[in-house]
Amino acid sequence: MQLRGEYNQQDVVRRRMPFVIGVMLALTGLLFLRLASFQFPLPPEVQSYLESLRDAGYRQTLELAADRGIIYDRNGEPMAVNSLDYMIGISPNLIADPRQVATQLASALGVNELEVYEAITSDVLWVQLAPRVSSSVRQQIAALDITGVTMTPIPRRGYPQGPLAAQVIGFVSGDLQGYYGVEGYYQDQLAGQVREREISNIPFDLPEITTVGHGRDIVLTIDRDAQFIAENELLRSIQETGATGGTIIIMNPRDGEILAMASYPTFDPNAYYNIEDERQLINPAISENYEPGSVMKVITVASALDRGVITPDFTYVDQASLNIAGINVENWDDQSHGVVDVTQLLVQSLNVGAATVAQEMGTTAFYDEFDDFGFGRRTGIDLQGEESGLMPVPGDPNWSEANFITSSFGQGISVTPLQMLTAVSAIANDGLMMQPHVVRQFVDGDQVINAQPSALGRPISAEVANEVTQMMIAVVEQGLDNQARLPGYTIAGKTGTAQIPNAIGYEPDASITTFVGFLPADAPQISILIKLDRPRGYWASQVVAPIFRRLVERLVILMEIPTDDVRLALDAQGGSVLNIQR
Amino acid sequence: MSQTWIRHALYRRTMNPRRQAASLAILGMFVAIFIGALYLSQSSATSTLGRQLGELIEERDQLQQFNEQLRAEIAGYRTVERLLRRAQELGFVQASSDDIEYIVIDGYDPNRTISVVPLEAEEAPLPAYEESFTGWLQQQWDLLTGQIDQFSNREVRR
Repeated sequence: MQLRGEYNQQDVVRRRMPFVIGVMLALTGLLFLRLASFQFPLPPEVQSYLESLRDAGYRQTLELAADRGIIYDRNGEPMAVNSLDYMIGISPNLIADPRQVATQLASALGVNELEVYEAITSDVLWVQLAPRVSSSVRQQIAALDITGVTMTPIPRRGYPQGPLAAQVIGFVSGDLQGYYGVEGYYQDQLAGQVREREISNIPFDLPEITTVGHGRDIVLTIDRDAQFIAENELLRSIQETGATGGTIIIMNPRDGEILAMASYPTFDPNAYYNIEDERQLINPAISENYEPGSVMKVITVASALDRGVITPDFTYVDQASLNIAGINVENWDDQSHGVVDVTQLLVQSLNVGAATVAQEMGTTAFYDEFDDFGFGRRTGIDLQGEESGLMPVPGDPNWSEANFITSSFGQGISVTPLQMLTAVSAIANDGLMMQPHVVRQFVDGDQVINAQPSALGRPISAEVANEVTQMMIAVVEQGLDNQARLPGYTIAGKTGTAQIPNAIGYEPDASITTFVGFLPADAPQISILIKLDRPRGYWASQVVAPIFRRLVERLVILMEIPTDDVRLALDAQGGSVLNIQR
Repeated sequence: MSQTWIRHALYRRTMNPRRQAASLAILGMFVAIFIGALYLSQSSATSTLGRQLGELIEERDQLQQFNEQLRAEIAGYRTVERLLRRAQELGFVQASSDDIEYIVIDGYDPNRTISVVPLEAEEAPLPAYEESFTGWLQQQWDLLTGQIDQFSNREVRR
């Protein structure tokens, strides 16, 4: 027998149950629908809102510096690479046997054992043992397998070639900022972008797969082997002549590629902080203004020919000196040379002749032509720290008519060695002056961007360029006691011996000697400038002409430039050469 | 006997409400356990995968660093000075102009056009799928159709 109350309760439950079940099923259905809805793309604003809610407390952003781009020479030899140093630290409270650990670490780090022991037993959470050690030391320490030792990687820029081409490449400081040279000029390209990596604290989140990134690699126009030869010959010349410094630049006059650029004194970019004088970091080839001397006569003659002021048949009567514009211009040998043509003006390097030609031109034409050759302006080479030289022009406070006359033979005008070579290279390149550059390619992942050669202008016509080339050949053939000649090759060149200005005029016994030349003269592949500061011998013909010959002798082998007869034979049949070493 | 049991089951109209509620609760619990287990299983798999991925990323970064280090070391071994020294140790001497002989080869043109066999066509890129339910469905469908295609091709070859 059932009680009435029990019956009623069961009845109520029975009646209400379907409703409760229905509500629960509906809610469950809604939940399932909502759950399923997340599997479909959400509206962007909802998505970002939910993500911001999610990220607020569970994510952190790390900034990752990209690996700096590698610098290669034109043949793919690494000139600047990335490596890692390590900062070694230790957590003292994790060390069980301080004495043994101190012995092991002191041995690996090459430091005092007692200092390590004191550090390990100190009452701090973490202590630094060595600020920067190499990866080999790190490997030694890692092999010890000591709990509590931390090894934090520190990026380091390495220069495997040591001081080779240091002034072209520059260096990277501890803050990963590039200075000087390519490192400074292409800082943004090499450094790449700082990338962000999201770190999630939620264990179920998949980590974001980001690559650290990489700055653009740079392929230089520099040929490491040619650079080595240039530096080798420069150092040897400085030792032989007692010069205080010097520069050698090797360039392809056809496209403006710099194959080598060596200067002394230089520095080791791996230890740039050890330099005694900050001026060592500066590249004199592009930053040092100097009076080039008689090399400039080539430009004066080329300008006058291009203007039509003179012809190759032009002659004048050389009387050893010329009183003009309040100064007395004298030849280097104080001799009169009688009737002299333009070729002999250059062969004998006569100041009176250059002054006469300049006088014929007049200031307007003279400075217009010199401006076309780029003097007083930067060449725009892609290296940090280029100077523009100094060419006073009419109207400038430091200009005088005497200045105009002396500029014709390279005094009273300052140029950088690169400016001088660029101007002479225009003569080699049929009058077209190419912009010098040191970067050949940028490599960005799979993308290779070639640097295109660009012309700075055409200061002289091809015809004039060929005429001046013939005169420069005569200089080498007739004028330098065969010092610059190399059997089998036709070389065009010109020397310059410049006095060094001081506060009261010029130093009496010191000079800057320069040789600028190119070869093969009829189809130039290289143009070269050699400059020595204060060598023991005073005259460039005696000092730098033999060095030029020595340098060229090594370069034609390296660059496989055949002798003229072979080259012409090849040109005739459109073939090539095999070089065989006996 | 069995017929009686089936009849009883078929014709049993009502059920004890308590048993009915308990059955529903147990059913709900089983469903919840099933969903929970499914969720935990997925979460665990994701977490494990995440950890593995993190380790792989770390390993990749270390390998890249090691690669850079090796590149630096190799470059150090290839410096001109070192190569010269080693060459001299091996008995080589620097060539001078007199050691070089250039030979003209009639008719040989190094700038001739060289025909190269084209590389095989690259494989079609993998399709990108959305990480959503529709993406998953699309992926499954593509897999299925791919398998069917593969199977039918195999049949044709036979």
